[in-house]
Amino acid sequence: MPFVTLLLGLVIGLVIGYWGQREINRQLKDILNSLSDTRDRKAAFSIPSLIRRELAHLQEEKQDLLRQVEAWENLLLKVPIAYLQVDSDNHLIWCNKKARSLLSIDRWQAGQVRLLLELVRSSELDQLIEKTRSTGETQVKKWVFYRDYYSSSPVNSYDSRISLQAISYLLPEREVGVFLENQESLTKAYQNWERSISDLTHELRTPLTSISLLAETLAKRLQSQEKKWSELILNQTNRLINLIETWLQISELQENPRQQLHYQEVELHSLINLVWEDLKPIAELQEISLSYAGGEQIYIQADSSRLTQVFANLLDNAIKHSPSQSIIKIEITLQEQTVIIDVIDAGDGFSATDLPYVFERLYRGDSSRSRHTSSSRQGSGLGLSIVQQIVQAHQGSIIAQNHPITGGAWLQITLPLKPV
Amino acid sequence: MQSTFESQYPLELKYFRRILKKLEQDVLRMGTLVEDSFRLSHQALFERQLEAVEKVALLDKRIDQYYRQIESDCSSLMILQSPVAQDLRFLSACMQLVRDLERIGDYSKDLAEIAIRSFLYTPHDCIKEIEQMSHHAQFMLATSLVALADLDGEVGRQIKQLDDTVDDAYDRVYQILAFQKDLKGVVEPILLMGLTIRHLERMADHATNIGQRVSYIVTGLRN
Repeated sequence: MPFVTLLLGLVIGLVIGYWGQREINRQLKDILNSLSDTRDRKAAFSIPSLIRRELAHLQEEKQDLLRQVEAWENLLLKVPIAYLQVDSDNHLIWCNKKARSLLSIDRWQAGQVRLLLELVRSSELDQLIEKTRSTGETQVKKWVFYRDYYSSSPVNSYDSRISLQAISYLLPEREVGVFLENQESLTKAYQNWERSISDLTHELRTPLTSISLLAETLAKRLQSQEKKWSELILNQTNRLINLIETWLQISELQENPRQQLHYQEVELHSLINLVWEDLKPIAELQEISLSYAGGEQIYIQADSSRLTQVFANLLDNAIKHSPSQSIIKIEITLQEQTVIIDVIDAGDGFSATDLPYVFERLYRGDSSRSRHTSSSRQGSGLGLSIVQQIVQAHQGSIIAQNHPITGGAWLQITLPLKPV
Repeated sequence: MQSTFESQYPLELKYFRRILKKLEQDVLRMGTLVEDSFRLSHQALFERQLEAVEKVALLDKRIDQYYRQIESDCSSLMILQSPVAQDLRFLSACMQLVRDLERIGDYSKDLAEIAIRSFLYTPHDCIKEIEQMSHHAQFMLATSLVALADLDGEVGRQIKQLDDTVDDAYDRVYQILAFQKDLKGVVEPILLMGLTIRHLERMADHATNIGQRVSYIVTGLRN
């Protein structure tokens, strides 16, 4: 009897043991299956060896990925564009060689945890990173960076100013990566070009003035055909002189906007009316009229003669491109600190290809637009350019687009009521 | 501050470290703005760039904002967190430091105003030497900010020596300006130059103060 109970107990024990083992193996098999189900599973292999194989495989994958990451990091380290990366608290976690040399990051080694601001004291870079994080979008910014006084001696400090362009990207975990490029050569090249053109225009002035005077004298002394020719010479010469004067004006406004303006109290409605009176004879030839909406007493602090130039140019353009019997609309909207002026015509408007370039100097758009006018009223190509310069010198802005209703050109100027 | 984040710190301490880091970042931000302001007023005065003057006015407002914010953050941290040792020194030194920074910012605005007035006159003979003073003072400011960033007590002391150069230059130029004889026209240009060197000398002094406060943070000694 006791022998039977002993045997029974033993059998039950073995069954439980065997069942427990099966359960563990089943769970291990489930784990293995969840890891990768593409691999063939030879049922003949034991569970431990399958696990060993799986771990070895994972280890190999990990090594592969680490090698790839290292390869990318090495590439980024040597790339000719500067790159740095900061974490969510603005600690510098990585930068490449170009970034070190561009921004003079010479007190940091990889692995050290230091604030970017400790190493590069640039408020523009700091703001760029903050803006990237707050908007969640890539930002582009250009500024002039002054190399750290500390790394150079006190004497020749301003030789170390660089024009930078930075593009920032938001990365996972609120980290930010910034690419930086030295724009100095571009800036220098542009400045050289500007200077050359300016010198050229100055040089051209004097001989042109002489030619103009002589042509005038000749015109007075000649008869019929010869008189006509010399008048043509005078015309064309004056056109050139005008072009040069306007070009120089634009350059001067660009250089020193504040010094060129003489601010006065200007009433917009009366100013625009004066300009229109001047242009009325030409407008009436085509039966073009002006419609004004916006109020009678709009006062603004501005340079009266420059503003006159602005409206003269805009209205002249509008007349040139308006069909007969159409209306040019001027709408003025007064806001708290600014005034918005819309000049809308009913012509063909700007072509899509021209639109980004309309304010550039000497840009004249496609030939079909200049065919509308007779040769005596041909534009200089600088009209919109000087309008933009004057508006910007007043700390305003101007947008050119096509009006959705009339289909014509729509220029919107925003000006502050008082200079800031 | 050069520190490594140790994960075995209790949670409150880690949080405190982060707050201190954020405070340091704000102080450096303010310092950078003051540097920008100083540089712009230099450009206005010595390179006759009047556009710089407007930018100085805008910067000054932001500098004042930072000053008030940092002062209030420092006092609330001292009350709420009851820090000790270097942390306490850091907070109290920061409160003083931003005051010096704010003063430099104010002097910078004064220099910009002097620039507008002196624009009408031809530059004085001493202008080159005064320009050097300005460069030197800016160098001192940059050095003091680096000392703060690195928590370097040594550099803090070195700035004191740099201050002597500025003081000597001040004395020299003062002598020339004060004893000018046979003036033609108004005395304003001389007056403006006198004010300029005085402001520059004060700015250099405030930069020296910043360096000394950094020394205090590190060593706990006032010298």
